[in-house]
Amino acid sequence: MLNCLNGITSTAAALNAERIRMDVIAENIANAHTTRSADGKPYQRQQVVFETVLQNQPGNITGTPVSSVQVARIEADKHPPILVHNPGHPDADAHGMVAMPNVNVHQEMADMLVASRAFEANLAVVRNARSMALQSLSIGKRS
Amino acid sequence: MNTLSAIRPVLQNLPQIQFTPKTGNATPVNDFMPVGETFDTTLRKFVGEVNTKQLAAQDVTKQLLGGQNVPLHQAMIAVEEASVSFQLMVEVRNKLMDSYQELMRMQI
Repeated sequence: MLNCLNGITSTAAALNAERIRMDVIAENIANAHTTRSADGKPYQRQQVVFETVLQNQPGNITGTPVSSVQVARIEADKHPPILVHNPGHPDADAHGMVAMPNVNVHQEMADMLVASRAFEANLAVVRNARSMALQSLSIGKRS
Repeated sequence: MNTLSAIRPVLQNLPQIQFTPKTGNATPVNDFMPVGETFDTTLRKFVGEVNTKQLAAQDVTKQLLGGQNVPLHQAMIAVEEASVSFQLMVEVRNKLMDSYQELMRMQI
């Protein structure tokens, strides 16, 4: 297999993983005020867990397997829901407390920045791999 | 004077192109001809691989434009890989043409 852009396989997987993380953060922000999810309880904050996978085909120049990344699972945050006093709310309990999701929008914004920057870093890897390949191609040029 | 001696250590670190014989009892024609795979076959295979990359890039772009669930970066990476391998092919072709013209200019 012709391999012009080395190191791209793991970077592509990382880009994919960061995209999934972004999707999960979007889901959290969208459901930050959802008091009733599919199981009737307030929405629980989701978080992604990344894991390393060894790619079988030799991808880099030395022929050793490349370790890339994938999303192992998407898990719910174990923190309890935040209780807010709002007796007029349809989902309020006998004491007038409403269980709100354990999503902290500020934390989600910070996580979103981290995901965005990580995506950017991987894009920089792609850019550099491309420019290295093109620079190698210009070795033999006379001008 | 050997001006190219400086790049020799660099060349030793590059992966070697190996001409491995396909059949065990192939006899070498002479010392200059590699046994087994000829340059012609290597070139053919290489052009075929470049073509495969182009087709893969075209395929993934079509899927993306067709609204299927293909990530954008994957399409861009496939296109980029096809582009770089195509440029490599163009460089190889330029080298071959250069050497051909050099031979044609040779005085006998």
